[in-house]
Amino acid sequence: MIARVAQRMSGWIGWVFFLDLLDGLSLTLSYMFSKTVTERYPDNEKWMPFPRYRGHHFLKSNAEGKTNCVACELCARICPCRCITVVPHEDEDGERHPRVFEINLGRCLYCGLCEDACPADAIALGRHYEFSDYDNKALVVGRDALMAMPGKAVRGGEVVPARLSTEDGVTVPAIAGGEGADWWRNIRRR
Amino acid sequence: MESFLAIGLIVGKLAVVIAILLILPIPLTWIERKIAGHIQQRLGPMRVGWHGLLQPLADGIKLLFKEDHIPVEADRFLFTLAPIIALVPPFLVFVAIPIGDSITLFGTEITLYLADMNVGLLYILAVAGIEVYGVILAGWASNSKYAVLGSLRTCAQMISYEIPMGFSVIGVVMLAQSMSLLDIVESQAGLWNIVTQPLGFFVFFVSGLAEAQRIPFDLPEAEGDLGAGYHTEYSGMRFSFFMISEYLIVVFLSALMVLLFFGGWHGIAMIPLPPVVWFLLKLSFFIWMFMWLRFTFPRYRYDQLMSIGWKVLLPLSLANILISGVFML
Repeated sequence: MIARVAQRMSGWIGWVFFLDLLDGLSLTLSYMFSKTVTERYPDNEKWMPFPRYRGHHFLKSNAEGKTNCVACELCARICPCRCITVVPHEDEDGERHPRVFEINLGRCLYCGLCEDACPADAIALGRHYEFSDYDNKALVVGRDALMAMPGKAVRGGEVVPARLSTEDGVTVPAIAGGEGADWWRNIRRR
Repeated sequence: MESFLAIGLIVGKLAVVIAILLILPIPLTWIERKIAGHIQQRLGPMRVGWHGLLQPLADGIKLLFKEDHIPVEADRFLFTLAPIIALVPPFLVFVAIPIGDSITLFGTEITLYLADMNVGLLYILAVAGIEVYGVILAGWASNSKYAVLGSLRTCAQMISYEIPMGFSVIGVVMLAQSMSLLDIVESQAGLWNIVTQPLGFFVFFVSGLAEAQRIPFDLPEAEGDLGAGYHTEYSGMRFSFFMISEYLIVVFLSALMVLLFFGGWHGIAMIPLPPVVWFLLKLSFFIWMFMWLRFTFPRYRYDQLMSIGWKVLLPLSLANILISGVFML
């Protein structure tokens, strides 16, 4: 009984002195002077994806610089979008390699089934994710371009210094030697 | 020669005031967006200029080059007149607002106000009331349902809140025994009015928020239910006229709060600063306060708005007059 009266009294006192409004104001004030969580992409920073990230495909190569791919066409067969084209041939060493290995990135759904199906550990989906283009013909990527693509992220899950560059198309290259930072460091959890 | 100098001085001050008032919304929009960003843990504008400082200029250029569109069914005369009517009163108000007592420059004494009227406060409240006409005409002339609804709400809101606002300053006038803003500030040389008139300040602040149509009382332009309210149909420079007027009203209400309740240019004796600096500091604090409130509170419902105005603020302001009267006897 007394507790209820006290509760009601404190409720009234809070209403009279706008305690709930002041509570909200103090919360926004503390946010105003806390660190921002904005990721300044593409001006200052960019996001490094985790190793599990499925981005632009790449072809792994062996010690001699040749592709691991044996042109078995399993990836082309399992691809749900039919976006991989493989034409096999026998090179001068008598090894089976793809003559044509094309991926239509505009049709690909980045499921990663090609990576799972590959018996030679040749194709995988890497960390590169900035490959939009004005021309959809440019999205059909050939064998040599795929071999030059960056591989999977090593650490990932961090924000690294980068700078927007318009020299060779519009790219956001990471600044070499920049220290990555955990993006979650400024996120407040209550 | 003497009168020639005096007239030149007045014209010069007028030009300076108009220039400052026209430029003032530019930094204010930047500050508002920055405050909004930081309250929401964002950065706000960052890309145009250093920390986005040139963003308002980019916005201004965009507004200048936008198509000046007038709806076919609109009343063309009133449609073009409304933004001007909305813009002029905030400028007129600043005639009576002093920012300091006087300074001596090159041997001549320059007063830091344009006019010291003996009915300054009355003049300010009356002229500020005219601004509502711009809003109402804008909504009516647009011939759009959202605009009309917005201006109807404005109409009701302004009438409801101008009454407690007028009553809440009566306590201050009673203490100063004058309606001149200079006298009111001089009467606070020893003790600021906020100490003796906390209730009056509270009523003035809340009804000031409503007068400026700021959140939590921005029902006239409630984005969620009205598009943009009375300026739904406006674009380009005409739209920016409404925006400039809105920002100037915020500045003018902050200035009025400082003058009436926070001792104007009188500072705290312990911290020696020039009076004008004191005034500007307090002014910017209140402008910041307006923005802080905007990004903290949600919007009131229409019936809540009305009941706050008539059932809470009006009795409170009347009680304030009564209490002040009893204490003065």
